[in-house]
Amino acid sequence: MPRGRGTACNKHVSLGNMVISRSLLASIASAPDEGVAAHISPLVVLVLCIVAGIGTMMLLPGKREIAFRRIGGGLLAAAGLLFPALIARSGVWHLDAAGVYFWIFSAIAIVAAVRVVTHPRPVYSALYFVLTIFASAGLFILMYAEFMAAALVIIYAGAILITYVFVIMLASSASVPEGKPAVAALGECDAVSREPFIACCVGFALMGVLLFVIFDKSQNLRPAAGEPTVDLSNPETIQGTAQSVGNYLFTNQMVSLELAGVILTVAMVGAIVIARRRVMIGQEDAFEAGAVVSPMLTPQDDSPSSIPVYGSTNPRQKAYPEK
Amino acid sequence: MFAIGIIGFLTRRNLIVMFLCTELMFQGVGISLIAFSRYNHDLAGQAFVIFVLVIAAAEAALALGLIVLLFRTKNTLDADAWREMKG
Amino acid sequence: MSELFAVKYSFLIPLLPLLGAIVAGFAGAKLLKGRSHWPIWIGVGISAILSISLLAGMLGLWHTGQNLSVAKDVYTWIDTGNFVAKAGFWFDPLTAIMLCVVTGIGFLITVFAAGYMKGENGYFRFFAYLGLFIFSMTCLVMGSNFIMLYLGWEGVGLCSYLLIGYYYEKPAAREAAKKAFLVNRIGDFGFGLGIMLIWKTFHTVSYFGQGVGTNTGVFELAQMGHLTAYQLTALKVIPFFLLLGAVGKSAQFPLYVWLPDAMEGPTPVSALIHAATMVTAGVYMISRCGVLFFGNQPAMMTVACIGAFTALLAATIALRQTDLKKVFAYSTISQLGFMFVGVGVLAPVAGVFHLVTHAFFKALLFLSSGVVMHAMSGELDMRKMSGLKKVLPITNLLMLVGCAALAGFPFLSGFFSKDAIVGAAFARSNILGGVMLFTALLTAYYTFRLYFQVFQGPLIVPPAPAGDHGGHGGHDDAHGQDHKHNHEPMLMIAPLIVLAIGAVLAGYINWPSRHASFGDFLGQSPSLKQGYDVAKASYGEIDGSALGQRITGAEAEAPFTPIMGISAFVAIAGIFLAYELHLKNRAKAEDLAQSAQPFTAIVQGKFFVDEIYQGLIVEPLRTLGSKLDGFDKFIDVMVALVGNILQIFGYLLKLTMQRGYLQGYAAAMLLGIVAILLFFFAT
Repeated sequence: MPRGRGTACNKHVSLGNMVISRSLLASIASAPDEGVAAHISPLVVLVLCIVAGIGTMMLLPGKREIAFRRIGGGLLAAAGLLFPALIARSGVWHLDAAGVYFWIFSAIAIVAAVRVVTHPRPVYSALYFVLTIFASAGLFILMYAEFMAAALVIIYAGAILITYVFVIMLASSASVPEGKPAVAALGECDAVSREPFIACCVGFALMGVLLFVIFDKSQNLRPAAGEPTVDLSNPETIQGTAQSVGNYLFTNQMVSLELAGVILTVAMVGAIVIARRRVMIGQEDAFEAGAVVSPMLTPQDDSPSSIPVYGSTNPRQKAYPEK
Repeated sequence: MFAIGIIGFLTRRNLIVMFLCTELMFQGVGISLIAFSRYNHDLAGQAFVIFVLVIAAAEAALALGLIVLLFRTKNTLDADAWREMKG
Repeated sequence: MSELFAVKYSFLIPLLPLLGAIVAGFAGAKLLKGRSHWPIWIGVGISAILSISLLAGMLGLWHTGQNLSVAKDVYTWIDTGNFVAKAGFWFDPLTAIMLCVVTGIGFLITVFAAGYMKGENGYFRFFAYLGLFIFSMTCLVMGSNFIMLYLGWEGVGLCSYLLIGYYYEKPAAREAAKKAFLVNRIGDFGFGLGIMLIWKTFHTVSYFGQGVGTNTGVFELAQMGHLTAYQLTALKVIPFFLLLGAVGKSAQFPLYVWLPDAMEGPTPVSALIHAATMVTAGVYMISRCGVLFFGNQPAMMTVACIGAFTALLAATIALRQTDLKKVFAYSTISQLGFMFVGVGVLAPVAGVFHLVTHAFFKALLFLSSGVVMHAMSGELDMRKMSGLKKVLPITNLLMLVGCAALAGFPFLSGFFSKDAIVGAAFARSNILGGVMLFTALLTAYYTFRLYFQVFQGPLIVPPAPAGDHGGHGGHDDAHGQDHKHNHEPMLMIAPLIVLAIGAVLAGYINWPSRHASFGDFLGQSPSLKQGYDVAKASYGEIDGSALGQRITGAEAEAPFTPIMGISAFVAIAGIFLAYELHLKNRAKAEDLAQSAQPFTAIVQGKFFVDEIYQGLIVEPLRTLGSKLDGFDKFIDVMVALVGNILQIFGYLLKLTMQRGYLQGYAAAMLLGIVAILLFFFAT
């Protein structure tokens, strides 16, 4: 990997801006507001960001002591808590009902995201991801997008994450070395992360740039129109309900909708094709009967990870013959 | 969240966790889109998020299939095992 | 004149041999093989017919008093700004005569060559080159401007190189071809400079521009009254540059050294190129550029002196040569010297006349030696063969005719033409005449030395040498007296008979009669007419008959002059001397040679001219070349370095950037995006 350039100067901007933009967006969603950055000293933000960065770095999985990592986690948490405190102190924070929930959900989402990234064990990463999804769904609801929140939970947490967990189960079990207690067994791939410093620099730099753009260019933005008239009796005027979203999709985005359907179909076909197994040489008759056999791996035992052969009538027939 | 996802993607060596971080990135983008949709009072953002979700689902399915395939050949989930494009 | 059939279709004269060459060259290897001579026969044959028809037409028109010159442009070849050169032809008596010689004798030689080269490996290659040569030579003599002349000049040089090096597996042939080309190049360089100077001076390279009398061509511009000082000075110098070219092409001293070595080529090549046609290009050029030469007294003197010196030098070297073809090669150089003397003493008629007769008998001689060579399985050393009249009876007669013509035996063609030159030489300077006469004596001697040695006397046939002259394995059996092999196939003999008839009768075309001789016909050419005017302006009153300009009303000359008698005596004396020394008592020749020893050794060593050139010019240039080669290699390394640096850079890039880690690539991508974003939004 190429040695990263020092982008430390962006780190302070990045973390600070991230939180600032969140609050900005959320507060703008409720009411127009002036910029908040002027009230917080950049130096403090810089320090906070550096601390956060170091904390993240220390938190990532590596051949380090547990204590070391806990210290890193502590640093990150501290930075994460200090920043909202600063904002609260500067007094530009409109504390309304939506605002509190925004901060709570944001905190949960970010903490969960960090744990997704830094936890050594994949299953825990997946579960923390579910937590992230719930927090995001909460944020969606705050922004009047109920349908999207529901869709997010159903699709992501309900389908994709389940698939992920299944695959983790399938793949990780075979890589556990024999004879060791399962608790202490961690694949080396999970234990050591690669080049955390560079990754942090790059990530924060990117974030900083993105947020700088948002922050800088959005000074002069005003909402497109005033608050729309919300007539609770007529569901169609409320933006974000299933009805309105569905209406919008099926009138304005017809083609995209059809294309999405096509994509899903293609993905399904693709998944089947990818997961198909190859025919072994010499088994043409088996091929003609529709049973395809993969020669790749030989299971050592009758473990449930042996996947039954497609098209074969023998439920015990192994996918790959014993060698 | 996008940035955290990037960091995770670059750092972790477990293939599955790498893709999980990709999904994190999707999340971050989704939040952004909904926020902008709310800001501009335009439902297009939410429609976009629906499509992003669709794509994410499709991609997750295919990616996991590929991961399974890769795992079968090398019997490990380590991304470092796949360095055949070196040089 | 332009309505003549031959003039209308004159573009066929160079075109058909060229087409024949292309067909033979490209289809000859696989397709035509042993029949590759047909395209050339057809092409050159039709050209010959057209040339003869042109001549006949001109002769017909002559008696009606019409103007015998016309220009015919085919297309504009070069047109860049000021410089315009048309691909065009100029027809006048000089052209017609040269064309007939080139294509006629060329055709006869192609017929001979079909028999001579039968069974050779590169049969088609030979004929392709021959066709190309005829094309170049016709362009040379037919061209209407100096650029066409130069095209033909270079073309015949190229074909000479290709044909001398025909047996390219033989190292001697390769060296000889290179030598011919390089020595020719020296002359061509001077010639090119001359043409450039002409253009700079007159801003045109065309001979006569739009036509005679329009004052648009070089020749007429050079005669105009109000020439600038620059032009006058240039006119003094231009002939010398052109002369350098002629010296190279026509093998005069000091650029004659390529011609003897050129005998490495096959015999028909020697006959055609190095006897009859290519080497006469220089004489043609000087006659064509009469306007530029004839008024320039120093140039004329140089021409005559070079010619005389070369003639004498070559004749003396030929006295001691033992190789059949080399004798004739030096004889050619000597006779070319005669022609140069002819044009140098303001007798271009005599020069061109000798050119014509020389073409006949020299071709005959070379081809007969080819027959001898064939019969003797490639042996060329005179001392090893004798008395061949029993084996080759017809060739014996033909060779006798040719040798007699060359020696100047009375009433044969050579007699008349050589006498014309000697007479003109005496008219200008007694010393010159004396030298030419002495050279004529030597000519007769060495010619008949060869004849008596090879054809008369007791029969000695040499054994076949071990694969010396490549390719004649077809009939390579041991030739004994009792072998009934036909050494004189009709395909080879028939052209020789035609040539022999020409060698006998060609002298009579210049039989002086009232305004109807060869000289009068040639004098109709504007080159000679205007040359006469220029010469008159420079020398004062001169006898115009040597330039073909007879004063109307004058009596025809007497056919026989006292000079003729002296020449006849000289020729017969030479023959008698040869008889004494080489037939009656052969040992006497050797004794005589040994007694004149230091002189004999020098003559035998060809006056060491080749060695002097090698030491003074060739070796220093070679050393210089090898030194410069080192410098050249250094430049190569420098250039390669540029590529190597890039390669190293790419290698470094590969080592650092392409490690195979997917995430490494992703990180690099992200860094790039960040950089771009920073760049865009920071500025």
